Amino acid sequence: MKKLFALVIALIMVLSLGSALADDKTTVVFWYSLEGVNAETIKGIVDEFNASQDKIFVDAQYQGAYDDAINKLKAAGMGQLPCDIVHSYEIGTRFIIDSGWIVPIQEYIDKDGWDTSVIEPNLLAYYTVDGRINSMPFNCSTPLMYYNKTAFDEAGITEIPTTVDGILEIAEKLTTYNPDGSIDRYGFLFSNYGWFFEQWTGKMGREYVNNGNGRESYATQVMFGEDGAALDIFKMWEKIAACPYTAYIERGGTSAARAAFVAGKTAIFLASTANLAGVLSNVKGAFEVGTAFFPYVNPEDKGGVSTGGGTLWMIKSGDEAKEAASFEFIKFCVNPENQAKWSANTGYFPINVKAQETETFKANLEKYPQFQVALDQLHASGPEYVGSLLSVFPEVRQYVEDVTEKVFQGQLTAEQGVEELVGLANDAIETYNLVNY
Amino acid sequence: MTTKMAPARKIKPHKIKKTTYEIIEPWLFLLPALCVFAVFLYYPLGKTIYLSTFLTDKFGNAKIYRGFQNYLDILNGKYSREFWNSMWVTVRFVFFVATGGLVMGLCTSLITVNKFPGKAFASAIFAMPIAIASSAAAMSFKMILHKSIGLLNYILGTSINWLSDPVWTFPIICILSIWLASGINFIFIGAGLRNVPDELYESASIDGAGYWRKLWNITLPCISPTLFFQIIINIINAFQSFNLVKLLTMGGPQEKTNLIVYSIYLDAFRNFRFGTAAARSIVLFLIIMVITLIQFRAEKRSVHY
Repeated sequence: MKKLFALVIALIMVLSLGSALADDKTTVVFWYSLEGVNAETIKGIVDEFNASQDKIFVDAQYQGAYDDAINKLKAAGMGQLPCDIVHSYEIGTRFIIDSGWIVPIQEYIDKDGWDTSVIEPNLLAYYTVDGRINSMPFNCSTPLMYYNKTAFDEAGITEIPTTVDGILEIAEKLTTYNPDGSIDRYGFLFSNYGWFFEQWTGKMGREYVNNGNGRESYATQVMFGEDGAALDIFKMWEKIAACPYTAYIERGGTSAARAAFVAGKTAIFLASTANLAGVLSNVKGAFEVGTAFFPYVNPEDKGGVSTGGGTLWMIKSGDEAKEAASFEFIKFCVNPENQAKWSANTGYFPINVKAQETETFKANLEKYPQFQVALDQLHASGPEYVGSLLSVFPEVRQYVEDVTEKVFQGQLTAEQGVEELVGLANDAIETYNLVNY
Repeated sequence: MTTKMAPARKIKPHKIKKTTYEIIEPWLFLLPALCVFAVFLYYPLGKTIYLSTFLTDKFGNAKIYRGFQNYLDILNGKYSREFWNSMWVTVRFVFFVATGGLVMGLCTSLITVNKFPGKAFASAIFAMPIAIASSAAAMSFKMILHKSIGLLNYILGTSINWLSDPVWTFPIICILSIWLASGINFIFIGAGLRNVPDELYESASIDGAGYWRKLWNITLPCISPTLFFQIIINIINAFQSFNLVKLLTMGGPQEKTNLIVYSIYLDAFRNFRFGTAAARSIVLFLIIMVITLIQFRAEKRSVHY
């Protein structure tokens, strides 16, 4: 009897195993790199996708910041990569294409007949490399100027500055003092963030690296030395350093400036549009928040901003079912409704132009009109200011921050700063190209 | 130690022929440890030396053989200014943190060696840095040291940007590191203090010695093995410091907190120049080795067991 029982149990187990295999879903491992509200929103999209159908299961895994995720990929190396979709930043583009780990998403777009004209033209321009779209834009942002509108009104400032010089001029009026004479609220707090340097170069309409900003073929040297972009920017930093109503607050990000802004300790700060939702919810109506275009360096500048943010890459696995499943999920992420929701919850742009027609998007815009500025800025920038491609971008960005700091603190003059920066950047590019191409 | 061993040598050992098994046996006991060392120490060391003579591609594969060129680049070439700067920063950092951690650990453990009300509470406070994850502490201090909304500026009534000011950043990083290192020093030195025989203090008291006299002539010599151990550990830990710099200053301002380990990290994982990063690591390894050897020589003179 006992034996029979065991046999029956075994039989049931074998059968259930068989049936489990039969309706086994295709599992897609998705590495994402955002935190906080943004991560919650991504997880929400994934859960919804998993619930919406029963063929594909997306396993979303947080892998640290963009840099960490890319490092993990590199460490995993040439063998079987541990994921199917990777979320990475715009400056990783050249490197990931070169790595050979990915399937250009264009292949699946063609197979599926997916309409690429719904992608924001500027984003399409940025991510079209070697004549094809390599990765799907997902979260995209541009830098904005955030200002304390209440403080502006109190100081009687009606004209919003469009250049850094303009900001420095009104900084005095916006500054308030403690009873003991120390500064309570600065006119402007500066973050030393390499991304801004790239944006200012673009806003001057100049190139960051040679060979068509690294788009015609891989870059062999930086251009910001020769065409004067770096000098203009460093001269601007010297002016900022000389202004007593501003201060240098941090490097490599904008979180400290944002914390100060939210606490009412600075009237202006610069940061990505992706901060918008967070800033508004942190300020909680303590003062009115205004947004404006990212300022120019020189009043005569005519260029535009390029897009920052992240894209979704399909990892080459050789398993067509998996790749097709990955593409299904990516399509889901960028459909109008999800992009509208994404945009409303975070402050990133919807990459899908049709998202702007959805109710979710319209309702959000009505609630936060500040967001319109971000959209206008993106649309005011022509696709020709798409930004550059450079394999050693993360490294060069760090050098930019290093040297900016030295110029700001007076260790180097603007001219010496340019010389040092160009030397470091060109050496990095040269060494990389020597070994990798 | 040698003098105690000497009489044993005079007895001539009776020679016994060892069987093969007896020769192999000790090695079998060592085998597990050797395997672990081989995987986690010797292989990486060999690989690092190998990589340090190459330029590596974006996957970290050795590509172009360079001989000693990577070493020349960092010691006296295109990376030398940055390298020697970070060496100088590191040496000063190690000096301050190793001595500071030791002194703070010694003071706190001397305070808590005697009974007084609230001793348990004080001990818990002094030992707490062990339990604090340095990354979490760094994130808290990022806000505490904030220029305009930070607690420290609020208390002091100043407006210093502690993490970007060329004058203040280095001392601040040192102070935070000393505080984080003090916990483990407190525990070890405290344990050492409890092992000092009470008779010595009693007889010294009878001889009329005061607190400082006892501290200098009894306590310190008696805990000198512990102090020696702690000095070595402090120095090695300080050389390997990384978290605070990575999270708070990114080596800045003006490379004034660019510790050597952080510069290795940048070279390897940001720049993907594993070759020069490996060369830096080897130089660091040699420096730590020399310092440790010097310490062991000093030990013979000043440490009493």
